Amino acid sequence: MDFGYTPEQQALRREVRAFIAEHVTEDVLAERGSSESNTGRGEGGAMKRLYEKVYERGWLGITYPKEYGGQGGDRMTQYIVEEEFTRVDIPVGMGGSGAPAIMAAGTEEQKQYYIPGLIKREISFALGFTEPHAGADLASLQCRAVRDGDEYVINGQKMYTSSAHMATHIYLMARTNPNLPKHRGISIFLFPMDTPGITVRPLWTMQNDPTAPIGTTYGHQRTNETFFEDVRIPAASLLGKENGGWRVGAMGLNLDRVGASRYLISVRRDEDIVNFVKLNSFDGYAPAKDPAIRDKIAELWIEAQVCRLMTMRSMSIVEHGGNFTYEGSAEKTWAPEHGVRTTEAIAQMLGPYGQLLNGSPHAVESGIFAHNLQGAFQSGINHGSTQVMRDQICRRGLDMPRK
Amino acid sequence: MDTTLSEEEVMVRETARKFLEARCPTKLVRAMEKDEKGYPPDLWREAAELGWQGLALPEQYGGSGLPMTYLGLVMHEVGRALTPLPMLSTVTAALTIAAHGDTALCQEVLPKVVSGETILTWAFTEQDPRFLPETVRMRAVADGDHFVLTGTKLFVENFVAADQCLVVCRTSDTGLSVFLVDCRSAGISHRDLVTLAKDRQSEVTFNAVRVPRGRLVGGLNEGAAIAEGLIDRATVLLCAQMLGATRKDMEMAVEWSKFRKAFGQPIGAFQSLQHMCADMLMWVDGGDLLTYEALWKMDQGLPASVEVSQAKAFCNEKCQAVVRGCQVIHGGIGFIMEFDLQLWYRRVCAWTTRFGTAYEHRARIARALLDHPGTVILGQPVPVVAEA
Ligand SMILES: Cc1cc2nc3c(=O)[nH]c(=O)nc-3n(C[C@H](O)[C@H](O)[C@H](O)COP(=O)(O)OP(=O)(O)OC[C@H]3O[C@@H](n4cnc5c(N)ncnc54)[C@H](O)[C@@H]3O)c2cc1C
Ligand SMILES: Cc1cc2nc3c(=O)[nH]c(=O)nc-3n(C[C@H](O)[C@H](O)[C@H](O)COP(=O)(O)OP(=O)(O)OC[C@H]3O[C@@H](n4cnc5c(N)ncnc54)[C@H](O)[C@@H]3O)c2cc1C
Repeated sequence: MDFGYTPEQQALRREVRAFIAEHVTEDVLAERGSSESNTGRGEGGAMKRLYEKVYERGWLGITYPKEYGGQGGDRMTQYIVEEEFTRVDIPVGMGGSGAPAIMAAGTEEQKQYYIPGLIKREISFALGFTEPHAGADLASLQCRAVRDGDEYVINGQKMYTSSAHMATHIYLMARTNPNLPKHRGISIFLFPMDTPGITVRPLWTMQNDPTAPIGTTYGHQRTNETFFEDVRIPAASLLGKENGGWRVGAMGLNLDRVGASRYLISVRRDEDIVNFVKLNSFDGYAPAKDPAIRDKIAELWIEAQVCRLMTMRSMSIVEHGGNFTYEGSAEKTWAPEHGVRTTEAIAQMLGPYGQLLNGSPHAVESGIFAHNLQGAFQSGINHGSTQVMRDQICRRGLDMPRK
Repeated sequence: MDTTLSEEEVMVRETARKFLEARCPTKLVRAMEKDEKGYPPDLWREAAELGWQGLALPEQYGGSGLPMTYLGLVMHEVGRALTPLPMLSTVTAALTIAAHGDTALCQEVLPKVVSGETILTWAFTEQDPRFLPETVRMRAVADGDHFVLTGTKLFVENFVAADQCLVVCRTSDTGLSVFLVDCRSAGISHRDLVTLAKDRQSEVTFNAVRVPRGRLVGGLNEGAAIAEGLIDRATVLLCAQMLGATRKDMEMAVEWSKFRKAFGQPIGAFQSLQHMCADMLMWVDGGDLLTYEALWKMDQGLPASVEVSQAKAFCNEKCQAVVRGCQVIHGGIGFIMEFDLQLWYRRVCAWTTRFGTAYEHRARIARALLDHPGTVILGQPVPVVAEA
């Protein structure tokens, strides 16, 4: 056991902080605030230049092999870099990018094409999993892909394809064989968003008006419905084997679950509220002096430590080449629920200030705590809901019976 | 002891529910989120025809003289339909005027409240959000037959719609007084806040606003007790409103769980969701029981501060938990603006932050329980001890 950081890791952290202090300048922050995503293809070019510098430092795609544009580094290095950039709300990780599944199941050609682009943030995927009637029960999806010579023809609808209006490509789960049991007739396809036959329609969210400030938990202003009408793609768009998509997808999701992103959402919120309460008072009333608020903050802090340590545990297991049984599910249950508890407690600590949204006079920190209230619960629904995660903890972690 | 509703109480509730189901669709709720004044005047008039504004006001001023529990039942329905009307601020201010204003002022103001001609609000909170007398800095200084008011109030509900505002001011180092101020007086300006509920709250600045002495409500320097009564009424009626909205939200989520399918069955058949829903039902029921007991005590002229705080502390956390659960049951769709569920979620969230946090209300209960000699008996009144 070792709960510490090596001298090299500590030096890296200092180096990343110094880099951020120097390069995350006002124009970067301004552009970050105005662009809806951090794709690196932002309007002003400041974000793009920043990503180029981050890449030159070797801080993008740290855990990916050098031959695919990565650094061949370890997860802890990746984690440290990601944690520091999270504090300025600039994503530098590969969580949710589709890259883990491509590395695991892609052909040499696919790896050569996609991984360097994903690392440099020149390529980004919209994730096409969910459908109107397939959410938590993803395997019941119905979007069809039919082989036709050297092509597949796609027809169907996807829901909540969050970045479909900005992404260069889509990572699509579709049914290739409706006659097989539901988990076995599914395949994954990778293809450009500008392929003819794709229509993207916006679904505006609670965070749209007023716009959630950057750093909000589920601050998405927009997600989408995406329709596929006789979309023809080359057969080489298939990722992994035909009808083998469930395994590839599940693997990708599992790998996505590991690591920093869940916990890092909490880091921001827990640090923000402690620092806010510590430094602010309202006409002489200092919430930091209220014994009940002090007690609550300490309680949430302990929970945040459990979040952090569960994340460290997952990374340690992967670092040893091991497999999760229930640990990823535990992390994916604890972190979102802790996030909700924190967010709701903050609203009570701030009283009527806690309800003021971005742009309101007297809004606290651009209203981020109120906007978090509109989004925090969402992280317990997506990518495996906490209900389903708890079922998995029981089955895989405790060997409990299904029926 | 009988916690069930009488026939007449059921009728009050059912009439209000039917009226709002017909007249307050979510389309109207959405439209009023973007409306400058935040309410539709014709619905306000119709509410007056039903006697809502004057429900608990004395008959001598045109009111119906009915108990607060009835008003609570109406506010519950107002909340259920997310009715965009300035009801809460108007009735709390009017009840305060009825309780403490002199006859002339009551004669002048209350019949117009009953008829729907006058909209009221009140202003207590400044920068310090706690409901304690010492947080009031705004001054009212006597000048001949006027008082001159200077200061800034925050979170003033429906100010943009209101005609008159009860303003709590400092009139001596230790004394507060309450004034009824014309919202269009010279020297008043306001900035509108953007709240989770997308309802109307403002920051209101009073710059040497002259108010005639006759607009003093209750005695000079007697305002702290008046304000406490006002805030208690507002708080308990907000609980009723919040519980109405929360219960409706729960009903929608339970309905959803019956027809939304996953893994070959309705999601409502999964025990983890069922247990969540069972908790929700206990929480809204618990909130209702606490709220109606507090209202009933007010009707009996009994001290009700502890009961009000019990209700609000409980509702703040439990209503929040219920509406969060409703979002969870709905999955992704609950996050989407076009889908109505978010209308309930955002309002309940906002309401849990108003009129005292769970911490404040629990501290008030703890003072009553612990800072008083003798032992306590569950179910018997607890003495309230003022803030040290
Ligand atoms: C902002 C946002 C962004 C998103 N981005 C993407 C994206 O980029 N790509 C994508 O593919 N999807 C995306 N999603 C979709 C998201 O993954 C789904 O919303 C999620 O999987 C839940 O599916 P659903 O909404 O259909 O809810 P449902 O599956 O209908 O679930 C509703 C409720 O039923 C419960 N439930 C279901 N099964 C069980 C069970 N066995 N036991 C107990 N309870 C159960 C769930 O836990 C949940 O509480 C996004 C959603 C949102 C809101
Ligand atoms: C002190 C005592 C006095 C009692 N007095 C009486 C009496 O006067 N008359 C009488 O008729 N009975 C009486 N009982 C019996 C009592 O009703 C049973 O213990 C109870 O019904 C549970 O049955 P069981 O003990 O067989 O446990 P089981 O039914 O085997 O349950 C064991 C556990 O499984 C859980 N469980 C069972 N089914 C489900 C489910 N569908 N979902 C989730 N969890 C489930 C239970 O909650 C429990 O935690 C008494 C029991 C006790 C302990």
